Amino acid sequence: MEVYAAKLGRGGQIVVNGFFLLLSACIVAPFVLIVSVSLTTEEKLYELGYSFFPRGFSTLAYEYLFQSPGVILRAYGNTVFVTLVGTLLGLLLTALIGYVISRRDYRFRSPLTVFVFIPMMFSGGLVPFYILMTQYLHLKDSLWAIVLPGLLSPFYVLIMKGFMGKIPYELVESAKMDGAGEWRIFFRLVVPLSTPALATLGLFMAFNYWNEWFNALLFINDDTKVPLQLLLVRIMNTLDFLRNNSEYIQSLGINMSQFPNESVRMALVVLVAGPMMFVFPFFQKYFVQGLTVGSLKG
Amino acid sequence: MLKRKFSILWSIVACTALLTACSGGGTPPADNAGEGTAPVAETEEEGLAPVELIWYYGISQVPPDQQLIEDEVNKIVKERINATVKLQPIDFGSYTTKLNTASAAGEKFDLVWTANWAFNYDENVKKGAFLALNELLDTYAPKTKEAIPSFTWDATKYQGEIYAVPNYQTVTSRYGISLLKSLVDKYGFDTASVKTLADLEPFLKQVKDNEPGMIPLMLTGPGTKFEPFMYGYDDSGVKLDDKTFKTNLLESTPEYKQHLELIRDWFEKGYINEDASTVKQIDSLYNGKYAASLESAMKPGYEAEKKLNNGGYDVVGIPLTVATTRRTSNITTMTAISRTSENPERAMMLIELVNNDPELYNLLSFGMEGKHYTKLDDKTVKVDPNGGYTAQNWVFGNVFNGYLVEGQAANTWEETKKLNESAYVQPTFGFQLDDSAVKAEYANIAAVKAEYEPLLMTGTVDPAKYLPEYLEKLKNAGADKVIAELQKQLDAWAAENGKK
Repeated sequence: MEVYAAKLGRGGQIVVNGFFLLLSACIVAPFVLIVSVSLTTEEKLYELGYSFFPRGFSTLAYEYLFQSPGVILRAYGNTVFVTLVGTLLGLLLTALIGYVISRRDYRFRSPLTVFVFIPMMFSGGLVPFYILMTQYLHLKDSLWAIVLPGLLSPFYVLIMKGFMGKIPYELVESAKMDGAGEWRIFFRLVVPLSTPALATLGLFMAFNYWNEWFNALLFINDDTKVPLQLLLVRIMNTLDFLRNNSEYIQSLGINMSQFPNESVRMALVVLVAGPMMFVFPFFQKYFVQGLTVGSLKG
Repeated sequence: MLKRKFSILWSIVACTALLTACSGGGTPPADNAGEGTAPVAETEEEGLAPVELIWYYGISQVPPDQQLIEDEVNKIVKERINATVKLQPIDFGSYTTKLNTASAAGEKFDLVWTANWAFNYDENVKKGAFLALNELLDTYAPKTKEAIPSFTWDATKYQGEIYAVPNYQTVTSRYGISLLKSLVDKYGFDTASVKTLADLEPFLKQVKDNEPGMIPLMLTGPGTKFEPFMYGYDDSGVKLDDKTFKTNLLESTPEYKQHLELIRDWFEKGYINEDASTVKQIDSLYNGKYAASLESAMKPGYEAEKKLNNGGYDVVGIPLTVATTRRTSNITTMTAISRTSENPERAMMLIELVNNDPELYNLLSFGMEGKHYTKLDDKTVKVDPNGGYTAQNWVFGNVFNGYLVEGQAANTWEETKKLNESAYVQPTFGFQLDDSAVKAEYANIAAVKAEYEPLLMTGTVDPAKYLPEYLEKLKNAGADKVIAELQKQLDAWAAENGKK
């Protein structure tokens, strides 16, 4: 990076740095606001509105959430399980197929690549997917219903293939000469060399699994198997839905006061997003290498 | 060497397959009792084979004690109709998505809650998602049918067939105003002097002049609609005394213009909250901060309900119209039987049971006594919000069989029934526009309405300038075509029902 800095000159550097500082601020600000709201008392919120510093500091919202920690902890457990299992399995499968279609000496390389490519363009639609999951695989109310659909993404497979395709074929050949079998070559040679790509895709997958709620909404009814995100989405969606249909609700009568208030909802958002924000910095260094598909690396 | 490696791989594959196959709870197929034969009423209870019924319904939040309630419910249901019920409460926010998908996928379930505002009744009837119930009702649920007035049944009919059992409750709309009781008393305001909306002005002025920080009239953008009935029109835009059933575009009527001008005048005088066009709902934020609000569902005991919802402030209601009943207010909550149900007659028996067994009904609606609620007297209960079970009583069945909640007068149910049966039935009651010929125009008009209505109805913009603009946009969106189609269908409907 030093090379570029020298070319820009001081003024240019200030401009570029300033731009990225601004961009970062735009990304961080909303989250700071959410944290601040979650630490403000409800009365002050109504009186003064949102602000970046909690006016009327209180941890009541968090205390309320952890009054009955069972539900939240279980949801956390489900999310962590899905994320871990999904990411590890997903990486293994993606690497396996990515490696196979990156080998130039494999006879069915092109047809298989096309086969992987097709679902990137077309999908069966929601209802057939639902029928497959519930009536053929019987995955209703099972955490596997959240894990399985996200295991293989064609896009990630193609990124993987691109990365592995750049590993010199001579390496594989020389290993063969030394008497290594295909499995050993893959696990002892190709996988360690693909660490940047694995780390990058792993992070993407982990994010996807962590934020997954739609499949859970469709397939999970059992309250002990609800992931964290769905817990949040349910509250938010139901509130919105009832607000938008207030003309019907009025005649039926729903007590809206049973819903958690603003600061509690924001506290839940903080709990949902928090862990991922700490994971991210550790993967940062792999990003730079992992995503530059098709350029020379020094 | 290679062979061994492959065997490891295969075992991994096999294990995964096993895992997925074992983790789902496949329900054993229930044996079909009386499929395809004419329903024969079973009077002998031992004649019933055991079945499982799956029941989907909406709920605000799935309560922690759900399983406990299901077990208790099953004790009663097992004994009475030799069936077990699998209760599937789904939060209202997910309900429509989830049920539309499950229904399209042909999933097997028996009872399903439906309404005109969630998992839409009309759409699903047209899709063929529900079973026709005329015969089943007569055979297995005579008491339930008896308890509900015929016009409510008419509202559920599609080409002469009933496709869902209404959960009977308030089926009337009554328009008017709620005033904060403390201020009415303070200024000695004579509520009897209010005959029309415009008569409220002296009160609003008093509040504006003497109560700083108080919003005289609180309006919310999406929630403020032009109520045709207040101005002598019915829901189809027909004048109430018009025997020719001529429909009008409500937005172009003189009454509409007058109403906008009045509201605009109030907005300019500062009687209406400035953010009215964007506020979505009156929530706890405004508790006790506004003096008056508009009501569309003034039913017996509504003041108690309102007090519960807005932080314990007493209100005084002033109705501006008589109670009226229209199709939409009759189909706000119903239970249908899915076309995928393997035991429709048993599902209907369960509906009959829930609608006529107060013990079962109250268990579903309020939970268990002493644990989830305490009794204040024979008829009234106080629900403990943190007790571990809350549900909406109107998703299960006839609310008149259930308890009243704290604050509702002892005669609330009798009064509600009386009001339901004496309500003014709109001239075009039971008519429903089939919008298939004007779908695109209908959607365009809805988009234009969503843009202009919140601004005009809250007085935020000047009608002198914006009403003509609004009307022009409606015309461009195809309002004339929709009105013509509506008129055509209305004429046919009126002729068919001998109204002309």
